[in-house]
Amino acid sequence: MKGVRVPKDRVGVLIGKEGETKAYIEERAKVRLQIDGEGEVMIDDRNIEDPLMQIKIMDIIRAIGRGFSPEHAFRLFDDDEYFELMDIDEYVGKKPDQLARVRARVIGTNGKTRRLIENLSGVFISVYGDTVGIIGNSVQMPIARSAVDMLLRGSEHATVYKFLERQRSTLRIAEMGFEP
Amino acid sequence: MSKWGIANIYASYNNIIITLTDITGAETITKATGGMVVKQAKDESSPYAAMRAAEKVSDVAREKGIDSIHIKVRAPGGNKSASPGPGAQAAIRGLARAGMKIGRIEDVTPVPHDGTKKKGGRRGRRV
Repeated sequence: MKGVRVPKDRVGVLIGKEGETKAYIEERAKVRLQIDGEGEVMIDDRNIEDPLMQIKIMDIIRAIGRGFSPEHAFRLFDDDEYFELMDIDEYVGKKPDQLARVRARVIGTNGKTRRLIENLSGVFISVYGDTVGIIGNSVQMPIARSAVDMLLRGSEHATVYKFLERQRSTLRIAEMGFEP
Repeated sequence: MSKWGIANIYASYNNIIITLTDITGAETITKATGGMVVKQAKDESSPYAAMRAAEKVSDVAREKGIDSIHIKVRAPGGNKSASPGPGAQAAIRGLARAGMKIGRIEDVTPVPHDGTKKKGGRRGRRV
């Protein structure tokens, strides 16, 4: 039995229309979820078969809680897919106008920056509240993480795009399956 | 009759350390790190290194008669990153593939109840 908290306005997403998202998670991970209206999620993992699922299920629920759609979060069911959370307030503090400014930097006009990072490195990104969530595999993750880190620290967008372009070859090699 | 042990996995972005202890946690049975199984320093934290280290640990474990293990995963924690590196999952998978029975998995990352200032200074890390 483990507990995770999700924000109140994500509870509905976690449960889904007529409970279908919750039912799918329970079915696929062989767990029971108890979700209360305040966002407290209790995970009953007694019947789990795959030991790794104990970790994955926590990540999946946290990812949905941090703004990912269930479809994107379900990528975490696969092996070698990781979820990572970066705090914006570690970079610029908690002032609302600063948070909004830096959030906008990561997202870009009509989501252009976020889309570019996603497409060039193959990850999923969610900017929610004062966090940036990333879902990706072990090759994509460090690249996406440093791209977001550069944006949060204040690099120009062009610099970040150039950085991502430079990393393309690393990603292509990994895609073809030449890992050490 | 299965004998239990605890695999303490420390996964940072730079390395991975797997320490296998008995059930009390006081007696170390064996340990393996990323640096022991790969050549290049940058690969020490890779899932591949974690997998190899896990194999190494489970080889010794089997010799000593341990076939089931509980797992304690931790990230650097404190004022550093709170999420385990990519090695953690790979290490657990490696242990499972090597025929170990996995019991409970626990996250033992140290969490500050508000601690010290993060390193790097006010103006951040300047490269």
